[in-house]
Amino acid sequence: MAAAWARTILAALLLMLPLAAVAGAASLGAPLRLGYLDHPGTALCLIAADKGYFKAEGVAVRLVRFADTAEGLAVLGAGKIDLGAFGVGETLRQIADGKGLRIIGGGGTERTADPLAELDEAAVRELENGGIVVVVAEGRRAPGKETMTRCVTALIRAHQALLKEPETAWHSVARQISQPAAAGSVHFDPSADYRRMERLWRSANLQGEGRPRDFLTSHVYEEIYCDALDRLVDRDGLQDEVLQKLFREAVCVPDCCPPDSKKRNKTKGGSS
Amino acid sequence: MKRITMFVLLLSLVASTVFGASLPKLRVGYVPEPAHGLYFVAKEKGYFKEEGVDVDLFQFGSAAEGLAALKAEKLDVGTFGTTAPLLFINKGSEFTFIGGMMIGGQAMITRPERLAELSGKDLKVYKGKKIGLVKLSTGDVIFKGALKKAGIDYRKDVSFVEFGTVAAVVEAVKKGAVDAGLVYPPHFSLAEKNYGLKVAHYIEEFYPDYTCCRIVAHTKEVNAHPETYRKFLAALIKAYKFYKTNPDETVKIYTRALKIDEDIIRNETYVKRVAESNPDPLRKGILDFWKHIQEAGYITQDYPIDRHINTDIYKQALDSVIKREPKDKIYQQMLTFYRKQN
Repeated sequence: MAAAWARTILAALLLMLPLAAVAGAASLGAPLRLGYLDHPGTALCLIAADKGYFKAEGVAVRLVRFADTAEGLAVLGAGKIDLGAFGVGETLRQIADGKGLRIIGGGGTERTADPLAELDEAAVRELENGGIVVVVAEGRRAPGKETMTRCVTALIRAHQALLKEPETAWHSVARQISQPAAAGSVHFDPSADYRRMERLWRSANLQGEGRPRDFLTSHVYEEIYCDALDRLVDRDGLQDEVLQKLFREAVCVPDCCPPDSKKRNKTKGGSS
Repeated sequence: MKRITMFVLLLSLVASTVFGASLPKLRVGYVPEPAHGLYFVAKEKGYFKEEGVDVDLFQFGSAAEGLAALKAEKLDVGTFGTTAPLLFINKGSEFTFIGGMMIGGQAMITRPERLAELSGKDLKVYKGKKIGLVKLSTGDVIFKGALKKAGIDYRKDVSFVEFGTVAAVVEAVKKGAVDAGLVYPPHFSLAEKNYGLKVAHYIEEFYPDYTCCRIVAHTKEVNAHPETYRKFLAALIKAYKFYKTNPDETVKIYTRALKIDEDIIRNETYVKRVAESNPDPLRKGILDFWKHIQEAGYITQDYPIDRHINTDIYKQALDSVIKREPKDKIYQQMLTFYRKQN
């Protein structure tokens, strides 16, 4: 009798396991399709995926590799991927051409090891334009704000891991990048960094005549990065040096209000 | 007789519907800070309607959210700090400052045992100290401005520890992780009440009449419908007079509307007078604030911010109210203040 009960319970447990797995996966939602390039600047996305940071933030991600930014952005625009880590120069050019794209985070930009090469403005600009940003399509095809914030939170965590344990972090993604970067040869920044985008935009003369002054702002969604940073600061405090530095460098609109004031209400003033 | 009465009632109902429907409408955003109550005074006392404008009020949990709504034209006008609209304008948003909501309000809090060493009228007491603050808050910008005016090089002589929230600043002060912390209303009153912390200084002592929350609107809407915004500001001017002359009822209106403790509202608004609800645009204050933000390194490019300040509409609103009550002392004081600050 006891053995029969034990078998019943065991069978029930075995049946529940796949259901639990399904439930777990369901709680993460359908995987986001994240496009990336064979470029060391995409390492933040790859580390976040490999180390489970996306999953820890409640986002399932499936990586999709692309040969170049143009191909990746075309597929993003067609709604066949949800976000992508692509070259900033081409992304900005397509934004200038009217494509509905928004930059929500950053990645890595290669640097030259030759200090004299820093004096060559054209070469520096070329490297900068080859840097990676994380992009989504505008409008309904974009992931929701909460999902985007979670993704960028995962990128910030990947950035922390990369700076604290670079060898371990690079090793985890070495097989996905054919030419892993030498130490210090890629500068990483998980932020959308409007100031940098504006500098690249203006140096490429993309503003043009007649375009509204806030055209680029509409395509650089810094609020996502600021919310992600706030989330980590609230969660972990500012003990971590990497987080401290990111926080110092960010220019985010301060949260002004008393606690418990996040609910949005309408107070009708029509009879005033 | 009954038919006549019914007819009169029906006529009144139709008239109020027709006239109510014909008033220009403004969707107004705000954040629940103690000094933002003028909107509610204007609403409760019927000043918006008297001036001929219909107002819907929307509360936001953050300045970023409110300004995003304003940018997306889901609002017509809003009050979201000074830093936030300046950052948005710097990045290209076509907003115009047309009025104000709050002057002053920031305070430096500390533990009771540190009060003696931080007392006095000289900002030099903060040299060598570690100050907690919310990065890019009004207090952050204005305190650095005050230090600079006092000839103190804050980059060398003061340490700042930046936090994401005011609650984190209060916590850091409590634990002694910082020597003092800059906070805004009602947090210094809450810190005193809940944790026994003390206010060492109100920043107004070193920087009188500094700008806090400003009223911003879409530039194109302000230019297209200046009369609507004039009426809106005229209502707020009348609300200011009520606020100055009816403290008890104002406290009750503020408490109900903003859901903040009545004692705190009363204390901050009328007893200690740490912040003033004031609709003046404070053009000079905005320009100073802009300069301080740049000096602090938060904005690196210069920009002619004065293009985004319109004081004419407020002046016309004030003139229209004074014309109706030329002998009113409060309105005359507002005119003197306007001339000095703009």
